[in-house]
Amino acid sequence: MLASLVATWSGVVAGALAPGIAQGGLDYLPQLLNYLANGLVFSAIIVLGGIGLSLVYSIADFANFAHGDTMTIGAYAGLVTLGAVGTAGPTLFALPLGFYAALLAGIAVAAVVAVATHYLIYEPLDTDSIGLLITSIGVAFVYRALIQIQFGTGYTVYDVPTLRPIPWIEDLTGVTLTEHEVAIVLVASVLVAALHVVLQYTTLGRTMRATADNEALAKVSGIRTERVITSMWVIGAGLAGAGGVFLGLYNQLSPRMGFNLLLVVFAAVILGGIGSVYGAMLGGVVIGMVNRLTPVLTDFGIPIEPAYANAIAFVIMVLVLLVRPTGIAGEGVS
Amino acid sequence: MTDGNKGLRRRDVLKGTGAAGILATAGCVDLGGGGDSGPYQIGMVDSQTGSLSAFGERNQRGRELALSAVNDIGIGGRELSISVQDSQSQQQTGVSAAQQLVNQQEVPFLIGAVGSGVSLAIYQSVVQSTDVVQLSQNSTSPQLTDYPGLLRMSPTGRTQSTALADIITEDGGESVAITWINNDYGSGIKDAFVDAYDGEVVYNSSHDQGQSSYSNVVSQMANTDADSWLFITYQPEFTTMTQEAYSSGVNEQATWYGADSVQGSDVLANTPDGSLEGMKVVVPSAALDQDNYQSFASEFESEYDRSPTAWAAYSYDCVVTAAITIQAADEFTGSALGDVVRDVTRPEGEEVTSFEAASEILSDGGSATDVDYQGVSGPIDFDENGDPVAYLQILSVQDHEYESTGFVTGE
Repeated sequence: MLASLVATWSGVVAGALAPGIAQGGLDYLPQLLNYLANGLVFSAIIVLGGIGLSLVYSIADFANFAHGDTMTIGAYAGLVTLGAVGTAGPTLFALPLGFYAALLAGIAVAAVVAVATHYLIYEPLDTDSIGLLITSIGVAFVYRALIQIQFGTGYTVYDVPTLRPIPWIEDLTGVTLTEHEVAIVLVASVLVAALHVVLQYTTLGRTMRATADNEALAKVSGIRTERVITSMWVIGAGLAGAGGVFLGLYNQLSPRMGFNLLLVVFAAVILGGIGSVYGAMLGGVVIGMVNRLTPVLTDFGIPIEPAYANAIAFVIMVLVLLVRPTGIAGEGVS
Repeated sequence: MTDGNKGLRRRDVLKGTGAAGILATAGCVDLGGGGDSGPYQIGMVDSQTGSLSAFGERNQRGRELALSAVNDIGIGGRELSISVQDSQSQQQTGVSAAQQLVNQQEVPFLIGAVGSGVSLAIYQSVVQSTDVVQLSQNSTSPQLTDYPGLLRMSPTGRTQSTALADIITEDGGESVAITWINNDYGSGIKDAFVDAYDGEVVYNSSHDQGQSSYSNVVSQMANTDADSWLFITYQPEFTTMTQEAYSSGVNEQATWYGADSVQGSDVLANTPDGSLEGMKVVVPSAALDQDNYQSFASEFESEYDRSPTAWAAYSYDCVVTAAITIQAADEFTGSALGDVVRDVTRPEGEEVTSFEAASEILSDGGSATDVDYQGVSGPIDFDENGDPVAYLQILSVQDHEYESTGFVTGE
């Protein structure tokens, strides 16, 4: 079923884009599937980053430029934890239990740092959203500088072996996925599903949505908006921390890792409809996929190289915004 | 989008203010280095952070050793001091760092930068319109040759590209897939390689610096039938590609070759054992057989507990060349330094292998042409384009270690 769907879709792509692929048609399929699989893993990380950015925008009402570096903090907190806990013991998806402890630590530390930043810096500043935006740029530099002071400017990896592709998937479809990549997608899906449940079915979720809609109205209705804002930082930064740990697992850790990804995450959030959590998820998948699918262009003879993956993602973002100025899932502007 | 753009500009402003703030608080920087007393103040733009931070660390070690060698003797009774600014391995930041050094601190001699794109950007937007002498410590892009006013201590990559083409041909490589980093360094080395290589180039594509993943690049290379893969990129980017090639099971599909900047101990430490087996890399090399290199190396080892790289040697020679130039020049200005900087490295004069020896000749009334500084990195001999003589080493990865398999000299 899935295979036939993909085959149909790739047929459409082939037909629409170029006659050149017709002769190579089926041979190209595994390659395309590989790009899609890569895109899925990359999207999972962008989605984890995008949700927090979108939450901060809708509830605290500013574009948080420190969000990328919050991901970096999560990644390095994971590194320290993995170093302390060690890699002994049973494994799940070829990842030692210590890695899952590292993941939890990454989530916790990123959340604590974000909440502390909120109470120490953003809240006492009591400025407008542009002021907060600029402050967050400063906060981003401080985060990054602290990481550089502690861990140096070089790059490093988690102490878990780099894996070979899972043989049966490769034999069956030609797609090269490792167990780590499967784990990234699965855990990200679980986290996103959990967030969905929280937002839709709990009091916290309802109060969060109310605060996002109209903070003053929520406040007079008896919602403790201060508490909602704290929860928002915990959730947003926690997911960013998880995204950071996965980004580190995906390849390596460096002090600029989160900041380098930030613009792409912004593109995803804006494309999805700024302020909409579900839009951020959708935008993350679209931007991640577009980013990883760029080589298809050169494969079809269009001379746009993978180096321009981000530029293409941004062009698509602009095109979507021209048609739908509020983004894919954004609410109408009154 | 408008917001995003504004944000970035503001960020640059903040960066500038931040850098200025750091300088102000450091408090020990003598802004009036051009006066008649106090140390001679020169500037250096280095990659302390970013993709090329490994080079920045190597440079720092070379610079410190050179500075202490120079200041043990002194330049006519005065010390040399270097104001170092971080380029973050990025063009924009590098240019602001250079502006600060040249326009505010008014240094007449600027060592910088590591990345070829950064060096060129600094030259074109800051140095070209002044008489400041710019000497790049580590840039190897062939494009720098087109700017005679921009000197460099590391040899042009053109010789590196020719050497790579020869090695691939010797190894029986008939078709090659190239991925190169999308900047002056990458495109320069790539163009020179394509010119020099007689076989077929089946894949020739660029990638962007600092991305989180290069699986699309690796996947595309694996989809060609090239028997050789050539990587012209930086260490973090190359490490990501290696991990992704290994994770996709395609790393043994072709023989790997690399330009100088993909080689480093961080690459070995962060890639799986065996993933790079048999890879060959051509790197600029110091003059390993010279006495002054050997004493540099032993001093380096006792100070830093590790062997020096050619990159530290280049940085060392930049500082020493700057010091000799200052002593040889009539006055401490860009034009006076520019008049003699080439002469002190050229073969007309007496060969000297240390600042001390050069200083003696100059104190005895010798002029710039009486000195021929032989650096720890090689004979230097700046040509009319500002390029030094090249000396290259071929390294091959065996059991996840780099083994030297020979030397090549270039024009």
